[in-house]
Amino acid sequence: MNRRFFQFDRHGLGLALLLLIALFALAGPWLAGRAPFEQDLYGVLQAPGLHEPLGTDHLGRSMLARLADATRLSLGLALISVLTAAIPGTLLGLLAAWRGGWTARLIGTVADSVLALPGLLLVLLLSAFAPGAFWPLYVGLSLVLWVEYFRVTQATASVVFASGHVEAARLLGFGPGYVLWRHVLPELLPLLATLMSFGASAAVLALAAMGFVGLGAQPPAAELGLMMTELLPYAAEAPWIIASPIVVLTLATLALVLLSDAMQRRHA
Amino acid sequence: MMPDTLPLLRVDQLDISSVDGRLVGPVSFSLLPGRALTLLGESGAGKSLLAQAILGTLPRGLRAAGRIVVGRESSDSGDVRARRQHWGRALALLPQEPSLALDPTMRVGHQLSETHALVGGKPRTEAWQHTLKDLGALGLSHAANAWPSTLSGGMAQRVALAITRAGSAPVLIVDEPTKGLDPHWRDAIVAQLQDAMRQGCAVLTITHDIAVARALGGEVAVMRDGTIVEQASADTLLAQPQHHYTRTLIAADPLNWPRKPAAATGDEVIRATGLAKRFGAQNLFRQLDLSLHAGERVAVTGPSGSGKSTLGNILLGLIQADAGHVNQPGNVARVRYQKLYQDPTAAFAPRRTLGHALDDLCRRHRVDPARIAPLMQRLRLRPVLLTRLPGAVSGGELQRFALLRALLLDPVFLFADEPTSRLDPVTQKEVIDLIVDVTTERGCALMLVTHDRALGNAVAERQLVFGLG
Repeated sequence: MNRRFFQFDRHGLGLALLLLIALFALAGPWLAGRAPFEQDLYGVLQAPGLHEPLGTDHLGRSMLARLADATRLSLGLALISVLTAAIPGTLLGLLAAWRGGWTARLIGTVADSVLALPGLLLVLLLSAFAPGAFWPLYVGLSLVLWVEYFRVTQATASVVFASGHVEAARLLGFGPGYVLWRHVLPELLPLLATLMSFGASAAVLALAAMGFVGLGAQPPAAELGLMMTELLPYAAEAPWIIASPIVVLTLATLALVLLSDAMQRRHA
Repeated sequence: MMPDTLPLLRVDQLDISSVDGRLVGPVSFSLLPGRALTLLGESGAGKSLLAQAILGTLPRGLRAAGRIVVGRESSDSGDVRARRQHWGRALALLPQEPSLALDPTMRVGHQLSETHALVGGKPRTEAWQHTLKDLGALGLSHAANAWPSTLSGGMAQRVALAITRAGSAPVLIVDEPTKGLDPHWRDAIVAQLQDAMRQGCAVLTITHDIAVARALGGEVAVMRDGTIVEQASADTLLAQPQHHYTRTLIAADPLNWPRKPAAATGDEVIRATGLAKRFGAQNLFRQLDLSLHAGERVAVTGPSGSGKSTLGNILLGLIQADAGHVNQPGNVARVRYQKLYQDPTAAFAPRRTLGHALDDLCRRHRVDPARIAPLMQRLRLRPVLLTRLPGAVSGGELQRFALLRALLLDPVFLFADEPTSRLDPVTQKEVIDLIVDVTTERGCALMLVTHDRALGNAVAERQLVFGLG
């Protein structure tokens, strides 16, 4: 009883936090009333006040506007890279489980070789081709992340395909579509949902890490990791401005991890 | 009183209750050295709870009251600690399902030897010698270095029983020792228990297999809804049952079934010629010819692993034969060849309610959904079950749903693969009766796989007997 309540709480908390962050990302620019790149060199490193709720940075730009912009970028990237990894990964997993034999071996070998490559290294490699562009990040992250979806899908689906109830369904005249929809997906979706929220938090962190080492977004773009690098020299004078991207990053990761953890427990 | 007639275990006014009320009892009995007491009854009668209460391993939330006397020591049945010191040494349990009772990560010989050493208190080398002697006596010398997962159900059960006895406890409690075993292994387990009784053990057996009760002799107690409704010596009780429930239970034994009359037969629905199938190095069958006509019934019997199910799956086209042909008349749709599974819960999509699953089937084949209701009535299924998931109905009910599902497609051939081997005898009779009656009514050929020769004889005029090798 107690445990159930706690589970519900965890799930609800994660979801509420995520919605709050998304709301901030969408409503932030409107609240700030200034563009994120608009400088005001007469008002640098201002403390939070009525006029500037989160203060200004070293170039006098509105922290609220920049933070909201950066959050939107992070969540958007997380969503896109999760979808671009989950969809091909799941489809390939289903294909491998369905066909078996050399199809499964071939895809499995490709997946193994991707796994052998450290993810961040792949992203760095791609960034070297197109410095400052965003596409290497998307492509790099989904190239790394699809393997998980493939593995989980293949393992789960091949057990289900070999089960008595799928055999019974085929004898009863049901086609592959029905088997997929009613037999395989109900087993698979809770697992995929867990993976997707873990993947999203990994993507948010990866983007920030790339920005921090200067290979992701380029100035004057607002991005959480890049903002941390830019504001690091002013940490002693104005600790509140470097704190804000760190808090947002922590909360976003926390929300996604809470969500995936709750889903995992619910399924188990 | 002579010392050797002192009971090894005495249970006095034991009752088990949860917050919702009494589940079992009050029950009293005593176990004498060299004697058997068999508890008979269907699933849910509280037999296993009774064993757990005696050992002091009741699940959380259940309370036991009454006295339990082990040897000369009397204790309250709620006093778990008093009983714990007797585990393995005075009281030993053979749990249900040997596959769960054995440690999968430890070789068979080591598990047995460990019990000899740690529970029996023997030095290591002596324990190992005892292990080899025990395994040799069971004809399992080759299994000392085997992993439990490589043993068949029957072998694993013999090993589990040897481990149960290794602490030389005088009281053995065995829970469903022969569930799912074919007659060969059932007799082997019974012989092992009889051997224990000759050495002075008292055996408390929980079973729904009347053949086991008959073979063990001693006392038999029939349990229903948590109470013992009749208790007498095995000969008396099985020959002259007094309570009406005991009579139902005995009538449900396939040996006592009335033979089903042969049905009128029609056109040929399936013909197999020259079938052959190998499994590894073993020839399951060679040059097998079989022809079945509408309304005909054939029983396929034989030990586990002899290829009974494989034959049915070949007829249905689920497995390829190594040689030979299966002919189905061209004008009959393939979906009219149907199968019933040994474990019905594994034959339904686990997250689709039964009602939705049946609706899907009707939609797929443009069958009028109005046919479901009368069929449910015919198979004595309550409409409320349609809203449940397959895991939330009993095995007997689910097997009847599987039958209903097949009947919606007007089958001409039904392959029933041990459809009742996991059900208790009363439910088994009910399900088999329904399968036979509705297939006969509809002129559907039935091929029933079973390891119970008596069941096969009662159901079908034609028998196909498989041997090993």
